[in-house]
Amino acid sequence: MAAARCWRLVLRVPGLSLHTAAGAAVTAPEVTGPDVAAAPVARYPPLVASLTADSKAARQRRVERWQATVHAAKSVDEKLRILTKMQFMKYIVYPQTFALNADRWYQSFTKTVFLSGLPPPPPAKPDTEPAPALDVAALRAAACDCLLQEHFFLRRKKRVPLYLEREAIASPFLDQLVASLTGLLSARNPALAAAALDCKRPVHFYWLRGEEIIPRGHRKGRVDALRYQINDKPHNQIRISKQLPEFVPLDYSVPVEVPVMNCKPDKLPLFKRQYENTIFIGTKTADPHCYGHTQFHLLPDKLKRERLLKQNCANQIEVVFRANAIASLFAWTGAQAMYQGFWSEADVTRPFVSQGVITDGKYFSFFCYQLNTLALTAQADQNNPRKNICWGTQKFTVTWNRCLS
Amino acid sequence: MALASGSARLALARPGRLGLGSCGAPRRGAYEWGVRSTRKPEPPPPDRVYEIPGLEPITYAGKMHFMPGLARPVFPPWDPGWTPPKFRRLPPLHEHPLYKDQACYVFHQRCRLLEGVKQALWLTKTKLIEGLPEKVLSLADDPRNHIENQDECVLNVIFHARLWHSTEDIPKRETYCPVIVDSLIQLCKSQILKHPSLARRICAQNNMLSTTWNRGSTLIQVHGSSGAQLNAKDPLPPIASREEVEATKNHVLETFYPISPTVGLQECNVYDVNDDTGFREGYPYPYPHTLYLLESANLRPHRFQPDQLRAKMILFAFGNALAQARLLYGNDTKVLEQPVVVQSVGTDGRVFQFLVLQLNTTDLASDEGVKNLVWLDSDQLLYAHFWCLPVVRRKAVVEPVGPTGFQPETFRKFLALYLHGAV
Repeated sequence: MAAARCWRLVLRVPGLSLHTAAGAAVTAPEVTGPDVAAAPVARYPPLVASLTADSKAARQRRVERWQATVHAAKSVDEKLRILTKMQFMKYIVYPQTFALNADRWYQSFTKTVFLSGLPPPPPAKPDTEPAPALDVAALRAAACDCLLQEHFFLRRKKRVPLYLEREAIASPFLDQLVASLTGLLSARNPALAAAALDCKRPVHFYWLRGEEIIPRGHRKGRVDALRYQINDKPHNQIRISKQLPEFVPLDYSVPVEVPVMNCKPDKLPLFKRQYENTIFIGTKTADPHCYGHTQFHLLPDKLKRERLLKQNCANQIEVVFRANAIASLFAWTGAQAMYQGFWSEADVTRPFVSQGVITDGKYFSFFCYQLNTLALTAQADQNNPRKNICWGTQKFTVTWNRCLS
Repeated sequence: MALASGSARLALARPGRLGLGSCGAPRRGAYEWGVRSTRKPEPPPPDRVYEIPGLEPITYAGKMHFMPGLARPVFPPWDPGWTPPKFRRLPPLHEHPLYKDQACYVFHQRCRLLEGVKQALWLTKTKLIEGLPEKVLSLADDPRNHIENQDECVLNVIFHARLWHSTEDIPKRETYCPVIVDSLIQLCKSQILKHPSLARRICAQNNMLSTTWNRGSTLIQVHGSSGAQLNAKDPLPPIASREEVEATKNHVLETFYPISPTVGLQECNVYDVNDDTGFREGYPYPYPHTLYLLESANLRPHRFQPDQLRAKMILFAFGNALAQARLLYGNDTKVLEQPVVVQSVGTDGRVFQFLVLQLNTTDLASDEGVKNLVWLDSDQLLYAHFWCLPVVRRKAVVEPVGPTGFQPETFRKFLALYLHGAV
């Protein structure tokens, strides 16, 4: 009855239609006369849930309407603005953390699988000529020069006290090392010659993963998504204008499972705060160098090896490196993917790859990260077999006596 | 000294009872005397037993606790053996091991010379030539030395430094000035593919330079760190020929009477005369190539004026050259057969000053003889202004986002100074 009344109202007042879809369905057969037989014409307006009712269906419709605005956004900036403009309480994930077993937690937050060792080398293409031989001696000499310059040759104003050693000596050493190695290796990789080198520029990423029942407050008992934000400041990063090639195909199935944590993230410990949601790779969206190559991180004094050994946490030394790599590289690759217009409902169509080097001034660890999926929300992750993969090595040391010889 | 706090003044070891001075009024003022609620309680007066001479009072010191009837022990004042750094006072200047009677005028990185470039030229016995030397300008104009899409790359660098590198809408000068210089150097370094000898260089920061020389009867010293410095394994070739160097003998240095040439310099009696390049012996990159001086303070009064910046560039380049010459050729004053060349670039993120200094002589005491040479290219704008937000008047975009008045010539000179010595 109600449907019939609406039908007559629509016929009488074609300009004012209650349902725009219904109006289109009504007017369509009048325009395309001969094609009526091809498409079955809807005789009733589509039955959709209400927009304003207090029901799950109405909420779903509102969510879909919001997602449609994101899909319809014309520029990436607008898309990011719609995704990040509403602020709610979110967990702040610190890549450099003292929390125990943080790497397993971070793997579950970012749906990452950790594999030891480096990724498989790309298959050698038969038509391209072999790359020139790597001049290891020159690279080694350059690294020794940087190390000796900061630790020995440079005369500073005052003798640097122990607690300032890291930022006064290890930090410029890492800067110099990155600059000289980039220069020397640009002969083998012309992309490095044109790369942009950032020094201590922030990297931010905001994402949703999983759901919880709100424990208290006026929304108690309702289901709410868990939101995370990473605000990272890598010591150096190299950005290039062409994307790095993938290590493994996008839908590569890794036999290892992503760790599942049975507790709330608060147990890590992880704390919630509400502030600006930012997504930033180190530059704004207009920069042509929008793909990442390598990040370099320097661990703070709080997480240094001697301190962890004194606290009887010898097994956490590797965990610190791994957690830093997983969180920082996930944030960077995720932000790169969002800069290209992908998001949780529009998953990546090509894998985003970046590398990372984490050091505490003496020990270096190398990591590679491949982002295969951004669909981490509860709705998008229901049928998502893809996992992000992080490869990592053990620590390598740079020792004095080898350099001086 | 007037700013010394109460506790510091006490430690100046004034004998006598604290509190009351000679006239009975408190020696400390009300500010240092303290609010009544925070004052420590006065110690109890000593027992009357101590006033009887010749008597040894029996105290409860051995019992380690109070005993009624026994006298309160008086202990000798305890000397902890060390003072915390907060309360340590420097010895008076006369007792410092490096104290000398003759005053030295020190130029450090925050010295602003009143007469600017003229004063710097007089202090370093240098002749000024406007514009960069032809050798360097030819490097700038040579199309073989240009990077492909050079203008586009430089515009990207300007955008990145002024707008893109930070989440803020309008980044501040303290962040964008070092970013733009680093990015320009990175862009110049991309030429390493064409000129492999560019790999024989390294960048250093925070090295402490110290050189001293006599100018007439005054002793002048350059001391401090000049920021980022590019060092090379090979020295820069001399620019001016011997004839030009000999011709400077006829040049007369400009004086600026009645202003003293040492105005703006810090007068100091505690100084070290020994030269120090900032690096130890055996450093693999001994020759200073270019100094990069940044004026990156946000507020204009905190930044140097262009003239003062140029003077600072001249003096630091001269200091580096002199230290290098003394290291190579000894401390005696003479005319150098192989002149030492040092370059310098000074900027505030938008305006660039380029400088090439050739040290011809270390005989600086007299005003006659061969002079040093400096080629100075001042006030080169990279761009006139940068709009971070578009200027919209009556709903029409009048000025789009980006730099206005871009001059590609400035970057060509920057690149030429970088490539000089390696091409």
